[in-house]
This record gives sequence, structure tokens and C-alpha cells, in this order.
Amino acid sequence: MIDFFNYVQNDWDNIFAYTMEHLQLVSLAIVIAILIGVPLGIYLTTNKYLAETVLQVASIILTIPSIALFGIMIPILSIINQGIGFLPALIALVLYSQLPIIRNTYTAIQNVDPNIRDAAKGIGMTTFQRLTRVEIPNGMPLIMAGIRTATVLNIGIGAIAAFIGSGGLGVLINSGISRGNSNMVLAGAVFVSLLALVADFILKFIQKRVTSPGVK
Amino acid sequence: MMNSKKIIAYIVRITLWALVIAFFWWAISENMFDKIFNEPETFKGLLTAHIQLTVISAGLAILTSLPLGILITRPWFRKSEWLIVNIANLGQTIPSLAVLALAMSFLGIGMPTAIVALYVYSLLPVLQNTIAGLDSVQPEMKDAAKGMGMTPLQILFRVELPNASSSILAGIRTAVVLNIGTAALAYLIGGGGLGVWIFTGIQLYDNQTLISGAIPVTLLAVLVDFIFRGLQYVLVPKGNRLATKAVTD
Amino acid sequence: MIDFKNVTKIYGGEVKAVDDITMSVNEGEFVILLGPSGCGKTTLLRMVNQLETITDGEINVNGQNVKEMDKIKMRRNIGYVIQSNGLFPNMTIEKNTMIVPDLLGWDRKKKRDRFNYLMDLIGLNPDEYRKRYPHELSGGQQQRIGVARAMASDPPVMLMDEPFGALDPIIREKVQDEFLTIQKEVKKTILFVSHDIDEAVKMGDKISLLRQGQIMQYASPTEMLHRPKNDFVSEFIGKDRVLRSMSLYTVNDLVEALGLKSKEEDIQDTKEITIDTSLRVALSMLLNKEADELLITDDQGEAHGSLTFDLIETFINREVRGA
Repeated sequence: MIDFFNYVQNDWDNIFAYTMEHLQLVSLAIVIAILIGVPLGIYLTTNKYLAETVLQVASIILTIPSIALFGIMIPILSIINQGIGFLPALIALVLYSQLPIIRNTYTAIQNVDPNIRDAAKGIGMTTFQRLTRVEIPNGMPLIMAGIRTATVLNIGIGAIAAFIGSGGLGVLINSGISRGNSNMVLAGAVFVSLLALVADFILKFIQKRVTSPGVK
Repeated sequence: MMNSKKIIAYIVRITLWALVIAFFWWAISENMFDKIFNEPETFKGLLTAHIQLTVISAGLAILTSLPLGILITRPWFRKSEWLIVNIANLGQTIPSLAVLALAMSFLGIGMPTAIVALYVYSLLPVLQNTIAGLDSVQPEMKDAAKGMGMTPLQILFRVELPNASSSILAGIRTAVVLNIGTAALAYLIGGGGLGVWIFTGIQLYDNQTLISGAIPVTLLAVLVDFIFRGLQYVLVPKGNRLATKAVTD
Repeated sequence: MIDFKNVTKIYGGEVKAVDDITMSVNEGEFVILLGPSGCGKTTLLRMVNQLETITDGEINVNGQNVKEMDKIKMRRNIGYVIQSNGLFPNMTIEKNTMIVPDLLGWDRKKKRDRFNYLMDLIGLNPDEYRKRYPHELSGGQQQRIGVARAMASDPPVMLMDEPFGALDPIIREKVQDEFLTIQKEVKKTILFVSHDIDEAVKMGDKISLLRQGQIMQYASPTEMLHRPKNDFVSEFIGKDRVLRSMSLYTVNDLVEALGLKSKEEDIQDTKEITIDTSLRVALSMLLNKEADELLITDDQGEAHGSLTFDLIETFINREVRGA
């Protein structure tokens, strides 16, 4: 145990740098995933046939083991010389985030009480006004929950991405294993877990803040 | 209007299928699956180890979590339920790789360590869904059952478990599918499985080895997910399916 | 049949939900536990089949102290219906209805016969509903199945906790009428919780009006409407109690009470009214100016004189005010 704390103290700069790298990858992926997933989720509420297809596909993607997906992308992206590194990791994380974000957005909008929607129509709101003033605010808790799930998921998968050279806290686990340095492995495991827990906590807090007190 | 929506959905569906087919056609034309056919014995060994890892760990997890979930939802444990639920929620945010790494730090390398790590990792989804499922059974229903003179065991087996079956089975499915993916990481701690080829492929820039490991794992996960969904359909009482449908419609 | 002796229920050592209640329900009687929410009526009901423990006092069913009976066995011998019907979504209608016989180990044939009998009783086709599931049924149908389930093992006593409370008014009326018809045939001893005075007056042989765990009045509906024991009772039954009590009488009651004779006279501007119509309907027809007089006829179409406002007023004075 003492060994471990000494290691963390000595290698603090490295650990911090890896944490930042990890955060960068995950944040960028989440931002892109939100930009795709939320509008798509909203659009899907207007076409239930497409919704069925998209949600099915997204759920199949989520069942693909992450290391296998990285593996499958290597030969494909090798064609453009990006087989390993940041890009495949980013693509994979964006793909994995889609199911929680699309599904929750879709359900959130779909579940808005028809009476509320009707009232909004009745007082003469346009479709866009209805969306931004009524449907999204009412669906906020669920949409945020989807984003939170996706973030926590991505922090974990981001660690695995280190094996295809994307950097981040997974590097500690990876090189720790190959060098037989168990303190390094432990540090990687502990910090990636902490990152996930803290992210979960902060996003829960944000979720509460952005949700109108009137909505549950 | 209706038709154009259907057409868009079909186009998307067909495009995605085309992409999958194109990928397989390309991979086959590049001889990427050759390793499976050149070394069938090795492949069989890796696949068997992979399935063993998953089945043993998930099986043990179900055997632990299901009774535990039932126990925790009994009246005399009610007070500690929120604590367990919170721990389960928190525990699930810990990444799979971290669980494996932690297990290795304490137990060393090898297949037993991998099984322990996978077991711990799949405990929580089953536990969480068992508790959620049993909690979702309406109190009025239990009250009616009690008022008609059912014993606690009869209430559990005839009312609570059948009505929670959908949620419990979903938890088991999640756990098993997650385990198939996590078992692919077992190579890192000397646990074997199809991850051996994936990681070797990555390290050696050998696409053949890589794809020969990655595609079977993917197919296994997708197939098992599919089978469990079918199982869920068969095992959940018909009345509950109708009930869910009535709620979502 | 059901005797409450100084029954008290205290929650958490201080809140008195039921306060020293003594009353008895005779065999074949339909007794309503009536009162505002929080008056202890449901608690009192649930103490009978031991879903709530009894803090003090005793409850005897058929001369046996419920505390000394085996809970499980006793419950199987008492029908229990709750507001949200409590049907099990995982079971078919037949399985749901036959759950108690199943627990009691009846054989298949006996169960099937009983199911068919009960379904006929509640007016649903047994073969049509046998294999269906609760969620395929309407609210009214589900509630009827809930009643049938409670009667499955033919228990002498039934406990009903606002069984029709969740139904919309029109369906509720219908299910109430049906249940009264069934009760005429099966003659169960029934304890029925309600918060609705109209339901209580319509259904009950007796009403026990509760407030803060105590009985305010325990009497027949007529008695309660005409002679409320205290301010709470008269306030609860409302200022329109005279009008309400009219639904308890038929035209025939008035004919007999006042000894109405058929008179030969010029009949003009009248409408006919059958002798078994309730006085409330008769009164509203008169108020509606459908006619100044109503010609009373019986099943055979024979005339029994005519009904006027004056006659109803006389009847009220005599019967209701107890002059």
C-alpha cells in the first residue's frame, strides 16, 4: 500500500497528464455524440419506422465488445492510414454513446404528456417553440441521464482504447502489465474508476441543475 | 406521408446491411479469416476458453445475485435496500478494464483471476435488475395475494417472480453480453480466450489474426444477445407482455 | 358473524387509527364502513383478515378470535377485494379467479365448474374470457373478475375495500347494481369500505359511519338519513338528505303507508308511473313538470290512484320526520 502511494506521488505528473488526455478523448467524443444523437433522437419521434431501425442498430453496436470493435476498425481505417491512435478511438466512443443518447432523447420527447403538448399547440406555439419550450425542458432529466450513462461508459471504453494507441489512463494499465509493474496497473485502475465516479457525480449534479424544479 | 417514412427507414436498413455485407466481402477477399481455417484447433481452444470464462462467471453471478436480490427485497431487509442499490449503482460505473486490473493486482494472473473479475463485474447488473423487478411489483398485488391467504413463498413464486421476470432476464442478458466482451480482455491478465488473437493482432499489426479474433467475439456477443431476447420473449408470461404493451402503446 | 370488541389500533405508539370500536355484523348482512379518508375504515377492515395487527381488543369471526386462527387458513376462507382489483397480470382470467381454490387443492373439474358458475354469475361468458389476460379487459370487467375471485371458494364472509372506487360513475352504477343482484342470490356477510354516501345508502343493510377511529353512528341507511345522531353525521350525509332518502323508497311504500285507494276520476294531463319506481325518480318527474299528477300502475297495469306533491310531502312528514 505504501509502495502504491509512493508511486502515485512520484509519478503524479504523468498520471495527471494521462488523466487530461483521457478527459480530452471522452469529452470530444461526448460532444460529437450529443450533436448527432440528440437531434437524431428528436427527429426519430417523427418517424417511428426509422426509430425502430436506428434503435435496433444502436443496440447491436452496444453489444459489440469494445476491443473487438477497435480490432475491426484497424484494417478498415488503415486504408486511410489511421488504423490506430486517436481517430479510431474517437469513432468507437461516438458509436457507443449513440444508444443511450438517442434512446433517452427519443423516449423523453415521446413521453411528454400529450395533454401538455396539446395545450402548447392550443396556445399557438409553432413546432419549434413547442420543442424548445415544452418538450425538451420536460424531457431534460431523461436526456441528461442518457448523456451521463454515455459518459461513464466512454470513460471505461476510453481506457481500453489505450491498447490501440489513443493514450489516456489505459496506458498505465497497459504498460504496467507489460512491465510487470503492479503499482502502475493499480494506479491506472484506481484513477480511471475515480474519473468515472466523479464524472457520474458531477453530471448528476448538472442534471439536477438544468432540470426545472417543476419537472419532478 | 406514411409511405415516404417507411421508405426512408427501409433505405437506412438496406444501406446498413449493404455496409455489413461489403465489410465481410472485403475481409474475405483479403483472406482475413484464414487464420481460423489454418489453425482450427487453436481457434476451437480459444473459443472454448472464452465461452468457459463467460459461462462460469455469469453462472456464478446469477446464482449469487438472484437469491441476494430476493433476500434484500424481503421486509426484514427493506431498511438496508437503498444502501445496496446505491452500492450497485456506484459499482457499475467502475470500468471493466479497471476491475480486471484490480483483480490482477490482488490475485496475480491466470484464468481463475479472470473468472473472479468477470464474476464480480456481472454481479451488479443481475442484482440491480432483480431488485428493480421485484420492487416494481405493485404493492396492491402483493396485498391482494396476502389477503387471499397465500404464504410468503407462494407470493414470491406465483406473483412476485413471474411479474419481475422481464426485468430479471434483462439483467441476466446484460451481464452475459457484457461478460463476453470483457472476457476478450482476459488475455491481458493471462486468462486466455479469443482476446489472445485480438491483442496479438494489434501488437503485431497482423490483420488476419486480429479479425479472426474480433469477428467471432462480435458474432458471439450479438448472437447471445439475440438468443436471450428470444428467451425473454418465451419465458416472460404472456399477460405481462400484454401489460407492458398496454403501457407503452 | 363478525364481532368487534373494544378494537383499537395504534400506529407507532401514538397515532390512534381505530379507537375502541365495538360493533357486530350479523350473518348475511351487508355492512358499509363509511367515512372520510383517514377515519380508520380501511384499517378496521384489514384487521379482520389480519393484514393489520390488532393493538387492543378482539375480533371474532363466527365466534372464533381471529388472533388465534391460522392467518393463512383464515384468509383463504374470507373473500377479499381491493380498489385496484389486484389481479395478477401474469395469470389468465381463469387462473386469477381460481387462485384460492388452487391453493386449497381443488381438482381440475371442480375448479372449472366453479369458474363457469362464477362467470355466469357476474355476467361474463366463461369460454370467451377463460384464456384472456387482465390487461385485455376493461376496468369494469377487471373489477367484476376481482369480485368473482373473492367468491371463488364460496367464503361466508367477504371484505371489500372500496372495490368500485376506481370506476367511472356510469360503470360504477352498473357494477353496483349487478353486485346487489348477486348478493341477493349468495347472501354473504359483507364488510364494505366506502367514502361515498350515495354508494353506502344504495348498497348497505347497515352503515357504520366513522370519524377519527370512532363510530359516529351505526344504523340502517333509513335510520341514519332520518335520525342523524349528531352534527357530524348530518353534515356528512349532507343537507339534501331528505332528497337522498327518497331513493330508499318506492312508490309502493307510499301507497301502502298512506293507504292510497284507486279513485275513478277524469284523467287528464297525467303520466303513468310503475309501482316499483323509486320515490326520487317520481319526485323528479313531478319537478320536471312532466305532469301534475302521476298515475300509479302495477305490474298488471292496474291503476292505484295518482301521485302528487302533496302526497309525497305527507309521506315525508310521516315516515322521514317520524311524526
